Amino acid sequence: MLQSRTILLIALLVVSAISSLAQGRTYDDIIETKQLIVSVYRDFAPFSFEKDGKAHGIDVDIAKQIAKSLNVELTVRFTTADESVEDDLRNTLWKGDFQTKTKSDLMMRVPYDRDYSQMRDDIGELVHDRVHMFAPYHTESWQIAFNKNKIEEVSTMAVFQYHDIGVEVDTVPAFYLTGAFRGTMTKHTHHYPNIRLARDAMLAEEVDAIMGLRSEVSHLLVEQPANFELATNAFPLIGRQQWDIGMAVKSDYRQLSYAIGDVVTEMVKNGQMARIFEQYGSIYQQPTYYNP
Amino acid sequence: MISAGKTKLKAVAAVIAFTLAAGANAKVTDKDIINDQATTNDVVSNGLGPRGQRFSPLTLINTKTVKDMRPVWGFSLGGEKQRGQESQPVVKDGVMYITGSYSRVYAIDAITGDELWQYDARLPDGIMPCCDVINRGVALYDDLVIFGTLDAKLVALNNKTGKTVWKKKVEDYKAGYSITAAPIVVKGKVITGVSGGEFGIVGKIRAYDAKTGQIAWERPTVEGHMGYIWKNRKKMENGISGGEAGKTWTGDLWKSGGAAPWLGGTYDPEVDLLFFGTGNPAPWNSHLRPGDNYFSSSRLGIDPDTGKIKWHFQTTPHDGWDYDGVNELIPFNYKDGRKTVKAAATADRNGFFYVLNRENGDFIRGFPFVDKITWAKGLDDKGRPIFNEPVRPGNPALSKDGKKGSTVLAAPSFLGGKNWMPMAYSKDTGLFYVPSNEWEMDIWNEPTAYKKGAAYLGAGFTIKSINEDYIGVLRAIDPKTGKEVWNHKNYAPLWGGVLATAGNLVFMGNPEGYLMAFNAKTGEVEYKFNTGSGIVGSPITWKMNGEQYVSILSGWGGAVPLWGGEVAKRVKSFNQGGMVWTFKLPK
Repeated sequence: MLQSRTILLIALLVVSAISSLAQGRTYDDIIETKQLIVSVYRDFAPFSFEKDGKAHGIDVDIAKQIAKSLNVELTVRFTTADESVEDDLRNTLWKGDFQTKTKSDLMMRVPYDRDYSQMRDDIGELVHDRVHMFAPYHTESWQIAFNKNKIEEVSTMAVFQYHDIGVEVDTVPAFYLTGAFRGTMTKHTHHYPNIRLARDAMLAEEVDAIMGLRSEVSHLLVEQPANFELATNAFPLIGRQQWDIGMAVKSDYRQLSYAIGDVVTEMVKNGQMARIFEQYGSIYQQPTYYNP
Repeated sequence: MISAGKTKLKAVAAVIAFTLAAGANAKVTDKDIINDQATTNDVVSNGLGPRGQRFSPLTLINTKTVKDMRPVWGFSLGGEKQRGQESQPVVKDGVMYITGSYSRVYAIDAITGDELWQYDARLPDGIMPCCDVINRGVALYDDLVIFGTLDAKLVALNNKTGKTVWKKKVEDYKAGYSITAAPIVVKGKVITGVSGGEFGIVGKIRAYDAKTGQIAWERPTVEGHMGYIWKNRKKMENGISGGEAGKTWTGDLWKSGGAAPWLGGTYDPEVDLLFFGTGNPAPWNSHLRPGDNYFSSSRLGIDPDTGKIKWHFQTTPHDGWDYDGVNELIPFNYKDGRKTVKAAATADRNGFFYVLNRENGDFIRGFPFVDKITWAKGLDDKGRPIFNEPVRPGNPALSKDGKKGSTVLAAPSFLGGKNWMPMAYSKDTGLFYVPSNEWEMDIWNEPTAYKKGAAYLGAGFTIKSINEDYIGVLRAIDPKTGKEVWNHKNYAPLWGGVLATAGNLVFMGNPEGYLMAFNAKTGEVEYKFNTGSGIVGSPITWKMNGEQYVSILSGWGGAVPLWGGEVAKRVKSFNQGGMVWTFKLPK
């Protein structure tokens, strides 16, 4: 009798532990259970990726420091990128994964953009009213890297009327190179499933340059031949030249965002944030939010 | 408790196996599939025969008797996984096979509704299907039940046990592929397309030996890609689709051209051709890919033995509105004077109904089947749309300072004058019964968009109903004249398939939950039953022990509730479910 009751009790405890982990939770719950669940993108170096069964990357390292500062254990969950960030926020924070129904406490790499967070739909409702976006931790931009043996200098975009360039399919660089400049670069634009494969194509001398996210492209140039260089050109007509990246929690959990916001501010100000980016060879730019 | 449940299930299964033993155990053959429409004791294929006419010669349930029709059993798909149920059941030897959301398959005793077995595909973490976790049904062949999974595999199960006989990876789900359509079996081969989002995929149709899962051929649906055929397990080149790359595409965009044949196909034994439709081209911004972009938004006539494209007909060249060309092409014959015309018909997303010569793909005639079309002014004598260029969505790359571009109003909406839900063709009335929707969309360039933490140039769009009191319209259309003989209006958008019978009836479910039967000649509602959740599946009918049965899945979901805005408001009160309902006349 006693034995079976104990088993039942354990079973109940397990169930409640699982169900509390399945949900995004309040700050008090997180502190009490000593567990913070953070969603990051799957297979997205240098931000978040798996290696030897362990989570690595810039976003993972930031999450580790947040958990450490809150004195809780970190659980990292990888999420496959959906068609837009709006979908990702649904999958990770407010509705949960469509298969496992799990929700996380925090989602990394969410734009920190007032126009975006305050966007309204066709019937006037806030599109993102279920989540709160906060704590910008870096400023992202576009970047070209090129093979110096093939192109002397990339001072303007004009060189890509003559030189082949690799981009990731269905990204702004892809649209930019095929859509802007009256289509004069279309036939020199090569599309790849991701920017790493574009870099491989540059190694194989299939293309003379690549264009992608600045953090990714600068990271990819670590340990590459010395003739691969980062360009310093401007991107006329590209629309958004740079944007801030922060994180998000479910709107009900503002208290959590305040606690995490404090940690991130501290990391930016004491230089730890820049050092994390440096470890991965990624260019770091501090958001203007922290300007004195 | 769990072991007791299992034992009970086995006992039930044993009894059924025994009672059915008399007429059972016949394996499904190619002949059974070809003759599916005429053999009323079973439904062994999607569409009640490879032509997909969805017509049954049964007459026991007819305009006089249907009012007495009542449910005989219901079957719950169970679990918490109650999402859109778009499956069409099939029935063989008193056993019904259905698929459910999340890549599940069930075998059910068709007389009692008892479950015989259930198969749950183990889906990997991190799959991202675009439009609900639906599945549209199985194919039967030999003693196998074959279906496609959300992680882009083809799985063949033993029809008695539900155990896996073979399993093939069709595509890599990590690259954005999945399968939701029911496969088709033709001449011993099981043939399937693939679904994929805007991840730079290339559409392909593949044929496998239905008994072993060995691949037979592979045909890309984008110009420039090599097709392959396997002989004695050796992979051999079999010609580039469209001859060569770059004829109707610019740059290397053909390498990621989209055109996913995601809705499966039909087959006509008379001309021995498969008919598959293809999705829209990628990327979505049409200004980046000048040209017709073959073979996106097209219908393809394909040799079932080799996978060669015999003809193509493009409904929306250089698509800029997301008008997939996947809707089913239904072969049918009609008399033109004393001549029999071997035709085929399709009701496209773009709002036009097309009648084609199915031997060579030539355009016979086309006409609008919805009230409002703004993107084109009409069709020319070859069936090519006459574009209304101001209604082409703008080029975001040209938007100044990253500002929102001007808004374009286009009809139909990207969910189409008709979406995936299959229409029916009645040999008796000579009419097509088309489940259509009257809706339009605003499209604008949306610079405030992000994808995977990166700034993105999205297209903003919102779907709006055109009329206050209805979106859905079931239409009876004469393919010879384009005349609409009758229509039935529905408040919510229609999303389920249609069935016509020789009993002068047309069956269809609606999102409000009703299974309805209409008089095929007049459109009068002769029967109506509320199944408790929205219907997005396709009905079937068959005869068993001298009685006519009707079955349909109920379970609200699919793509409609995924889109926000005004249309979502219309459907947000609909409850989810997951049931098979089976009906017959009282004895």
